[in-house]
Amino acid sequence: MSQKVYITGLGMISAIGNNVPESFLSLTQSKTGIGKIHHLTTRYKDEFLAGEIKLSNSELADLVKDNNPALNRNSYIAMLAAKEAVINSGIDTTDGLRTGVISSTTVAGMSKTELYYKELFEKDDHLDVLDTHDCGDSTERIADYLGNVDYVTTISTACSSAANAIMLGCRMIKHGQLDRVVVGGVDALSKFTFNGFNTLMILDREWCKPFDENRKGLNLGEGAAFVVIEGENALNLRKGKALAEIIGYANTNDAYHQTASSPEGYGATMAIQQALEMSGLKPTDVDYINMHGTGTPNNDLSESKATIAVFGNQVPKFSSTKAFTGHTLAAAASIEAVISVLSLQNSMIFPNLNFTTPIIETGLIPETKLVNIPLNTILSNSFGFGGNCSSLLFKKV
Amino acid sequence: MDALIEKLKGQIIEQLNLAEVKPEEINPDSPLFGEGLGLDSIDALELIVLLEKHYGIKIQDPKDGKTIFQSLRTMAEYIKSQGKS
Amino acid sequence: MVKAYINGTGCISPQNSIDSEWFFDDVNPAKGDYFDAIEPSYKEFIAPNLLRRMGRAIKMGVAAGNIAIQQADVKKVDAIITGTGLGCFEDSERFLLAILNNDEQFLTPTSFIQSTHNTVGSQIALIMKCHDYNFTYVHRGFSFESTLQDALMLFAEGKETILIGGIEEHTPNFIILNRKAHKFQVQNPDNPIWKSTTPGIQLSEGTAFFVLNKTKTEKSIARVDGIQTLYKPKTSDDIWNKLQAFLKLHDLTLSDIDVTLMGFSGDVNFDSKLQELLPAIEKESVAACYKNICGEYHTASAFAMWTGTKLIEKQSLPKALAISDKSPSRIKHVLIMNQYLGINYSFMLLSQC
Repeated sequence: MSQKVYITGLGMISAIGNNVPESFLSLTQSKTGIGKIHHLTTRYKDEFLAGEIKLSNSELADLVKDNNPALNRNSYIAMLAAKEAVINSGIDTTDGLRTGVISSTTVAGMSKTELYYKELFEKDDHLDVLDTHDCGDSTERIADYLGNVDYVTTISTACSSAANAIMLGCRMIKHGQLDRVVVGGVDALSKFTFNGFNTLMILDREWCKPFDENRKGLNLGEGAAFVVIEGENALNLRKGKALAEIIGYANTNDAYHQTASSPEGYGATMAIQQALEMSGLKPTDVDYINMHGTGTPNNDLSESKATIAVFGNQVPKFSSTKAFTGHTLAAAASIEAVISVLSLQNSMIFPNLNFTTPIIETGLIPETKLVNIPLNTILSNSFGFGGNCSSLLFKKV
Repeated sequence: MDALIEKLKGQIIEQLNLAEVKPEEINPDSPLFGEGLGLDSIDALELIVLLEKHYGIKIQDPKDGKTIFQSLRTMAEYIKSQGKS
Repeated sequence: MVKAYINGTGCISPQNSIDSEWFFDDVNPAKGDYFDAIEPSYKEFIAPNLLRRMGRAIKMGVAAGNIAIQQADVKKVDAIITGTGLGCFEDSERFLLAILNNDEQFLTPTSFIQSTHNTVGSQIALIMKCHDYNFTYVHRGFSFESTLQDALMLFAEGKETILIGGIEEHTPNFIILNRKAHKFQVQNPDNPIWKSTTPGIQLSEGTAFFVLNKTKTEKSIARVDGIQTLYKPKTSDDIWNKLQAFLKLHDLTLSDIDVTLMGFSGDVNFDSKLQELLPAIEKESVAACYKNICGEYHTASAFAMWTGTKLIEKQSLPKALAISDKSPSRIKHVLIMNQYLGINYSFMLLSQC
């Protein structure tokens, strides 16, 4: 049951790049992808910033090399990131081993549904959105794009979704149900989510400032990221190369409020502690934390308190990379898993942009410049609406 | 002022879907949040939209809601002070 | 192999399933080309300050979960796992229409918050103060299946009591649009669901929740032995071969299966592989159906599992579900073979305990 699980391939598309090498370059150059809104149609496009992927839908279609009109932005970016991860890993899905795709998304095909919804009642032109609106659509598109996939499922636990996809993939390998799994998450920016977060009054009109005393809220982003994870048996069989090991994970619920985190970060504290417990590591073994750090007053304070609850006065180096990508919702945890693996591989901590003043209550100071330092163990947190809290632990191989 | 408070009662019951609450049960000086009506932070956001939709008042910082929405009376006073009743 | 005991169930469906005494008598037909769930009075199950914000899917889910927990007589669970294909569609639609109708102005957060797919699971966690494992699956015809798969893994990992459930709601607009896309057909008694020759389903909705336990207790009604999903099997032979392997894993053959509940939807395009398998199933087992009374939706398999549990409890196959005159002499093993859109297939095995 306890076979080790490794990350063997990375794929990612977001505001900071259309693939992993481009993303790495932006991260090392402290270049944010958040800026003026170009692709999303909204009356607020000049009032707010967003982390958009810099490609139109037709440019994405060209990259995917598929002109099927039923495909939407969610599927395009999911297919691209998943394919990159598979190519990067070198796995061959036709070799007879059991391959799964476990994806996650929050609003799925909404970016297209919202364009045509009213028109559907009048005309017959875009009725296909009825078939592509749901969360399972992009997952099955990925599976068919990769070919020879034995197992598919999709998770939606708000902004912690992809962490749970990674966790489920690990568990299915450990239980012997799959040999390897393409795991991750995707969310294309939509008017729906944009307005949703705006009604909650947690969008910053300027660049978000995670962990800053004067933070006002988050910037929304969009993206997809997938990693290939393999059990050690499958990896040894094909003599593949591991990029990192997943040594701990945990899922808890804050059970405090439908959207807000508890002031003391109860669920988050438990998620971090349980992930550490699983790995057998002590808090002092963690070299760096890639925080959820959305930039909202509530999350960052609550997460800071949870961090102090676990690490006491020995809080490891930490940063939130959301000021690069924006908050990509279901994709956030897999984007940050890719970033964490890049950190391990390159011995680099990517900075927490836009930070100047520590939160008075906690005094925690993130890394604000690129830090070159050997890293062995990284903790990555993701929290979401509905109290969903997940933490993952990655180890250098 | 009393007329405005009565109007607000109806609008709050509708906006927050308080089907179980009758207007006469709401004391204009009772707290809206916690005890009293027992509203929460999501309701505060709903009330901000209520002010915008019915009275043309825009609140940019949700923290301002804390003082404005203490009770029906403080809410009515705030609307008056903005010259929007 | 880890098994699970079903200690409590709660089911809201187009039938009178909310009544614990109901056993497939007085079956309601479809309302033409769709079914509506029969909803209970929610005040019995949900506090008014919570109820005022909830859409139907949330109300149905929380109520069915509550009924299952009451029946199992547990105070706490170690995990809450929900499955839903479309989630809280009513709230999603409400927020979307508000955006479109008001040009993105005067929007309020409640329907956006409640539109999130994990709302039912998180509301139950909030009400029960459950800080443990909380997951929501949203994969079409695998949404409920994934909850069961996950629960079985969690039992192997040491959890003792788990609440799982499938939730689906439809809205008037959703019905109008799908009808426009020719996805439905009117239910016709002369065109039995298991040998339909025409396309179209009867769209439906409902929720079914289960309290599962790792060990058997005096509350245990039936046992879940296993679950398997099949994604896009190419032929009915593929399904047949996978079924043989699945049964073998549990030391059974088809002749041990007293009732096989088959997920015929009434749409010939989706049902053709199950139609091809029906003679072979009937040869060794007693085939039955369920979507003729619960309709078709992403998590109809949750209704099927509730049905299977009832059959084991009552040791009888009601006429409403029967495909032939054959009736089982006893009901020790029930196999559910669900399909959704002819793409997502699953096997679930239930046994007497």
